[in-house]
Parts: sequence; C-alpha cells; structure tokens
Amino acid sequence: MPKLKIDLEVNNRKMSKETDAHKRLLDFLRDDLNLTGTKEGCGAGECGTCSVFVDGKLVKSCLMPVAKASGSKIQTIEGLSDPGTLTPMQRAFHKTGASQCGYCIPGMVMAATSALRENPKADIEEIKERLGGNICRCTGYTKIFEAVELAKAVIAGDMPEEALNEDDVGDSYIGHNVRRLDAPSKVSGRLRYAADMKMHDMLQMQVLRSPHPHAKIISIDTSEAEAMDGVVCVITSNDVPEQTDGFGVFVHDQPIMARGKVRHVGEAVAAVAAEDLVTARKALAKIRVVYEELPGVYDPEEAMKKGAAVVHDYAPDNIVKHIPVRKGDVNAGFANADLILEDDFSTQQVEHAYLEPEAGIAYVDADDVVVVISPSQNITHHRHMLSHILGLPINKVRFIMSPVGGGFGGKEDMIYQGMLAVVAMKTHRPVQLNFTREESIIASAKRHPSRVHYKMGLKWNGEITAIQFGMISDGGAYGMSSEGVMRKAAILSCGPYEVHNLSVDTTAVYTNNTPSGAFRTFGGMQAQFATESMMDMAAEALEMDPFEIRRINMMKIGSRTHTQHKLTAASLDRCLDAAEKESRWENGPPNVRGSKRSDLGGDDTRAPCTLGARFKNGKSTDKERVA
Amino acid sequence: MERKLRGRGMAASWYGIARTATIDRAGAWAELDDGGTAKIVTGVTEIGEGILTLLAQVAADELGIKPSEVTIGDNDTARSPEAAHAGATRQTYMIGNSVHLAAREAKKHLFEQLAEHWGVEIETLQSFDGEVWANDTNLRITMEEAVAICKGRGVVPVGSASFTAHGTGLDPVDGSGSPWQTYVFGTQVAEVEVDTYTGEVQVLGIWAVHDVGRAINPRGVEGQIEGGVVQGLGQALMEDYETVNGHTTTHGFAKYILPTSLDIPQINCTLVEDHDPLSPLGAKGIGEPALVPTAPAIMNAIYDAIGVRMKSLPATPEKILQALKSKTPGREQYVQEARAQRAQSHRG
Repeated sequence: MPKLKIDLEVNNRKMSKETDAHKRLLDFLRDDLNLTGTKEGCGAGECGTCSVFVDGKLVKSCLMPVAKASGSKIQTIEGLSDPGTLTPMQRAFHKTGASQCGYCIPGMVMAATSALRENPKADIEEIKERLGGNICRCTGYTKIFEAVELAKAVIAGDMPEEALNEDDVGDSYIGHNVRRLDAPSKVSGRLRYAADMKMHDMLQMQVLRSPHPHAKIISIDTSEAEAMDGVVCVITSNDVPEQTDGFGVFVHDQPIMARGKVRHVGEAVAAVAAEDLVTARKALAKIRVVYEELPGVYDPEEAMKKGAAVVHDYAPDNIVKHIPVRKGDVNAGFANADLILEDDFSTQQVEHAYLEPEAGIAYVDADDVVVVISPSQNITHHRHMLSHILGLPINKVRFIMSPVGGGFGGKEDMIYQGMLAVVAMKTHRPVQLNFTREESIIASAKRHPSRVHYKMGLKWNGEITAIQFGMISDGGAYGMSSEGVMRKAAILSCGPYEVHNLSVDTTAVYTNNTPSGAFRTFGGMQAQFATESMMDMAAEALEMDPFEIRRINMMKIGSRTHTQHKLTAASLDRCLDAAEKESRWENGPPNVRGSKRSDLGGDDTRAPCTLGARFKNGKSTDKERVA
Repeated sequence: MERKLRGRGMAASWYGIARTATIDRAGAWAELDDGGTAKIVTGVTEIGEGILTLLAQVAADELGIKPSEVTIGDNDTARSPEAAHAGATRQTYMIGNSVHLAAREAKKHLFEQLAEHWGVEIETLQSFDGEVWANDTNLRITMEEAVAICKGRGVVPVGSASFTAHGTGLDPVDGSGSPWQTYVFGTQVAEVEVDTYTGEVQVLGIWAVHDVGRAINPRGVEGQIEGGVVQGLGQALMEDYETVNGHTTTHGFAKYILPTSLDIPQINCTLVEDHDPLSPLGAKGIGEPALVPTAPAIMNAIYDAIGVRMKSLPATPEKILQALKSKTPGREQYVQEARAQRAQSHRG
C-alpha cells in the first residue's frame, strides 16, 4: 500500500508519522493514534459523529484525506480537557442528561464547543443552526439545547459554576434527577463501542452481499480470493451446518449466509477474513458467484395472489403471520351505527438510523468458548440460536453486549454475529466486522410499512359501535420480528377505547424487499396512526371536540380490551385532562379552525425556523457567508 | 389564502409493558460490598435509555447507599443471570423490579446480622445514603462499618431475585387473552405551521402527557419522551426508506432524511404517575409509548391548519402540495353527509 509521511499537531502534541496514503483523517485518528472518541457514523459527511477541529475550525474528519491534514493543528474530543476532567460544555451535557446512547455525543460536544467558540453569545436559534450538521437519533435534541445554553451561561459568568453540579436528591434516590452514571465516559469519548475495540492478532472481516433481490445461487468460487496474500479464510453457507442453520426472532427462516438462493438485495452471501481491511475488501472482488435471477415480488398484496413468486418454500402463500382479534358482533355493531366512516391509511418503511453502524468481534477463548461481542439487543436469544446452529453446548457460546450506539429494535436480529463466530472457530483468531452505513441500511431490518383499511361505526352521541380493521404489512425477505409486530399491532389496533364489537386482522407478508423487523412501538404506531386519524375524522363529522369523543369511548378501570382483558388500572382520563390543560386547548371540533384558534403560539412553542440566524449577529466569518 | 397557516391536533394512545402475550422474566444478583458499596449483576441493561443509572438509583435506594457507590456488572450471557432482552419497554419494569428485589434480599441478610449484633428488632433498622441506624436509639453507623460487622459474623450479604410479568398467549381464533399485566396511556397535542407555497410543515410545539407509573428519574423519562417525539416527527414528515424492485434508493443519510436540530418543536412533557399495583417499584415504562401518538397528532394538526387529511405517511412537502392542489372546496364529502344525516335524525 502506498505510504505517505505527514507532520501535524494532534491535541497539542507535534508528531511526524508515516501512514497509508488512502486514509482519511478519521482513519488516521482512530487506527494510527487510537483516538476512538471520534466516531464513524456515515462516512459521507452527513451525520457529524466524526467532527474534529482542524486549525480551529469544525471539520468532518471522514471528508478530509489525511494528506490534507498535514501541517495542521488537530483537536479531537480527547484533547478538549485533561484526562479525568471535563469542560463546562461536557459537564453541562452530563448535568442535563444530553447523552443517551452516546455515539453522536463526542461529535455533538465538538459542534457545541465550536458554536460557542464562534460566538460565545449565540442565541438559541444560532446554536440550533450551528448544531445542524450533527445528527442525534436518541435525545430529540432538547436536552442538548439545554446543555449548550447552560454551558454558555456558565462560561459567560452569567451563572455560577455550581449550576453544573448535580441536583440535591433530598431523602430519596427515587423520583430525582440523578445524573447519568455513564455520561462522563460518553461526553469525553472514552467509552469504547464495538468498532473502537482492538484485540491482539485480530482479523478484519468484509461481507459479500447480494446484488439481486431474488436469485438462485448456482455456484460460489472463492479460490482466487483465498489464494490472496493476507486472506486467512473465506466462508459461505458451506461452513455452517445445514440441518441447524437458521435464525429469527419468531421463525428461524434466515441462514447465517444465503443458502441456495438470495431473497433480498444486501443479503450476506460470503465473508472474507484477512489480516487487514483493505485486503479483505479487495478479496471480495475476487469471489465469483454465479446467480440465476428469479422473478421477484415487491408488493405485499401482489405477494398474496396465486401465482406470485414464492420467497420461502415453507410458506407457499408468502404469509409470515396472520393475527385475528374478534370481539362481540361486528355486523350488529355496524347495523346499530348512525354513522359509518370508512377509509384507508398507509405508513412507510422507516430506517432506525442509529448512529452506530453494526459492529462486532468474535474469538475463541482459553476454555473453547466462542465469544461474540456486539451491540446486540438480545444476547440471551442470540446465544440460544447460535449454540443450536453451531451444535455447541450453550455454555460454550458467550454473548457480550458492547455499548449500544442506538438500537430502537434494529439490533435485535442476529444478522452478522454468526459469520463472526464461524470465522473465529475456523481460524482461532479474533475477528472484527464493522459495517459501513450503506451496508447497515441495506442489510438491517426496517419499521414495517402498513396499509390499513378501516371501518368505524358510531352513534350520533359519539359512541363507537363497531370497528373493522385490516392491516397488511410488507415483512420483506425474512420473518425476523414480523409475527410479534403483527400481534402487537392487532392487540393495540383500535386504540385506547372500549369497543364492544370489533374484527381485526393483521397480516405480514414475505416479499423480496429489505426485511422489516422490530422498531420502537412494534406495530403499535402504525395501527394507532389509523385509529387516531379516524377519531379525528369522526369528531369532525359529529361536530365534537376531539378530547370529548375520546372521553366518551376511552378505556376505564373495568373495561375490556380488544383482546377481552379486563383492566384493573387505566389512566387515559388523567392523560387527556392534563394534555388539554397543559396545551391550553381551545375546545371545538376539528373543522379547520386553524389560524382562528385562540390557543396558538405562546411560551411553550418555538418560533418557526428561518435560516440565517448565525449571520445576524455580525460574528460570522467571510467564509461562512460565502457558504 | 395566507401563505403560512397554523393549526393544532391531538391524539391519544396506549401500550403494553414488557414482552407481549407471554410470560416475561428477569433475574438479578446483589451484594453489599466492602466500603459500603454494592455490586449488582444482571443480564441486559443499557442501550442508551439510561437504565444503568435507574438501576443504580433503585439499588441505592433499597440498600441505603448512593447510586455512585453501585457497580453494575451486566450484558454477558456467561457471567450474569438472564434478564432477556433490551426492548419491549421492559427494562424499568422487568429489570428494575428484579434489581429492587435482589437488593432487598441482600439488605435483609445484612440487617439480620446487625439486629442480632445490636440486640434490636430488625424492623427498627433503616439505611440511607451510606448510613445505617436503629430507630429510637443512638445506634448509627456507616454502611462500611455495617458490612464489616456482617462479614465479621461470617455472612456475606448477598441476594438474588427473579421478577415475573404474567402475560398470556392469544387465542388463535378470537385473539382473546391478557397479553400484558400492565398498560400505559398517553396523549399528545401538536401545533404546526404549514407553508402552503412550499408544502413544508414545521412542528412548533408538542405537549406530551404520558403515564409512566412512577418516574424513577424524571429527567431520564423526559429524555425518552423527547427522543420518541422526534422519531415520530421524522416518520410523520420526512423519513422514507424507499425501494424500487427490491433495490433501495435511499442508501445513506444524504437520501434518507432525518430530523436535525432545526426541526425540533418545543416539547412540553407532563408525567402522570399511576403507580403499577402489581410490582414493588410501581414504575411502568416509556421508551416505545412516547412515539405512538406523535404522527397522528401532527397529521390532525395539519388538517386543522389547511383542511387536507394526510392519510399516507410521510406528509412530505410534495404530498402536501399535491393534496392542497387536489382539494375540493369546502370540507370533505363525508362530513357534509354526516351533518345532513345527523340533522335529519334529530328532526326525526
């Protein structure tokens, strides 16, 4: 590999280093200097997790070739303060709870630090604008804004430094804002996620992924790749016992690597383990796979039709799971209705977009235990599945959950840990796999998209007499959590209302799209989006306030749920009352009152965003104005 | 029509706590350690929500030490007891209660020894913030001393516990069953501004009210609600993973649009604390339920502002403009029909 020599200053230390010419500043900091507080989130300058200072300016280090950094002064998160101490900004993040998973936080602290360095008097609009290049998926940014404003006040001397201390807890630790114990390690960049970990003699893995949505695998020739200098092994489904291969949260329909055919674009077909990342990547190009493309199916309703391409042989109708819920007499309920509303709703596939792409390490320890370290949300189940697949006693498989840089359900599927374990067992060397953002997006599950057909019957007084609810969801190529998502969607479907007559069906369907899986609410939001839209439409049709129609139908203590579970506790009345009061809600039906409302605006809303706040105070640089 | 129009909408929601339609369980071990510190070991903890801190609070409160004196060993299938998985809004409920019960047992062993040592009734013993005392006496020592006394009598104060939530499976025909033992409810109100030239929607305010049972760490709960609301906002207005014949067209964050700091409404959280009667802590959960009502509240607010009902998410500027363009004057047909029918029925 071509080398180059660079001279630069990093965190106040001058250095002269030889490094690989292809590296980005991000790689140089992380791999050569072990400064892993600077994270890689997207590799494309979109997310800001890799933000550092270059000659005092905030820069996304994934966009800067290391050669360009030669001669510069670099400051990383590790250089903001002495080891074991925190800057006022970092302390403010700690105090306010501004870090959750923590993966975006070093970059966010750098951006926030930059904001106040550029303008110590920046107002909230300017602060928001200066943080605009940094994505956080956990916090909703609100506590981050609070932290930057607190730090600003302390730095300016408008508030005492004690404002950064922990709140007093009084006589109990329950019900008080104890500061997050993990925040110091997150705001300082000290916490090591799986991609930040290194082990002696560790191999790097890369994965060959399917370019086709549905194709038969005729042959895989790995010989040329295996012959390459630096390649230690190449694995395919031939390296996994066929009888036991298969994982999934409810149905074990997904092989560790594609077996016989591929079912979605991005599915793992083979994996290379090599002495270094570049060699592993080059070796992927030497693997020859012959595919025979098959007709695909890309729409769940098409997939249920006779003659549609079959994704899994065990499910010739392509149905992953159908969940029915029945209560009362739905026909009688509609017959008794004064008004029947009928409509259709749909929601899209959604990416979890945790800032930490999937990453993991596997090794075989001194007791012949296969150890997998990864940000898995379900180490318990993964251990069960992997021990079964590999034919090992359960105490010979050990899963360790590394710090999770955001999960939201997206890290419940064992989509790469099996490959790591197979290589570790084959080579008896530690092996690491770090996904790119693009790889994470095509290989990991999404939120189920939904199509809901809804029919609701009501009396003129607002009482719901019957609901018919049908939801069809694209489960994509593998079962993953589809069954559970359909179950939860069905149970919650008709919302927090006591409905005496209902008929609910939720169905997930196999297609050759990116799989759908677990995602925060597990089907609950898709179903309730439809219900809450219908409730608003019903309120308008009946000329009722939307709170009122909900109170008429809400579940109370003693109500029977849609699955006929008798409730011994219910708090919707309190929630509705509080929301109405706190929002200063103006009573009235949803009949496009809009700007005629008296309750708009106020201290509990923000001003609409109009770009350019950072230029208003005359503090911006010429360079910024041009940008 | 004015260019920028505002409106408000609301939505209610409900959710179940812990695993669905099955028995859920979680185990934990506790030890009061030298120096008056504690070790807590459990299978699965932090994925960013703050559960580590919450567990330290729960253990500290039960044992009578500070949260910073609690060390948590976790997330290792070979070194910690099973606590199942990190999801399903189950961490506070399942693992929180499990840790609470394990800590209670460790303290019981300590107090048994101390009561004998002091010659007092065990019921008179109390501990908080690193001190142990017997009510109505002058007996008061540090937890460090208490642990030393206990160990000097030959006993290591340890405890273990398993917490169970009793959900039942659904009937395969009519779906009947008790999928959770505990439910939460919520309500959110949204205020939006719609630019009728560009179709862009800005959410200016969210009022989020959620029953959390009991807020162990209110700021942590708010953080969960704020994060959930913004994920709901993203799904409502911009996020869209698209595929064409199985190939994604949204490969990275340049194409897959996420909420940034400029999209964030003022989020006003109100916590309702309807204690769970079926668990010692009384807390429920908030991770997932926080997201449920956001998108419908925003869509209902868009309707209030501009009179078009967005039934297909996300409500992108393109879709809003299209809906405005194809909107028939006046309100939608069904409303007029309903009003006419209702008027007739009242006359009748």
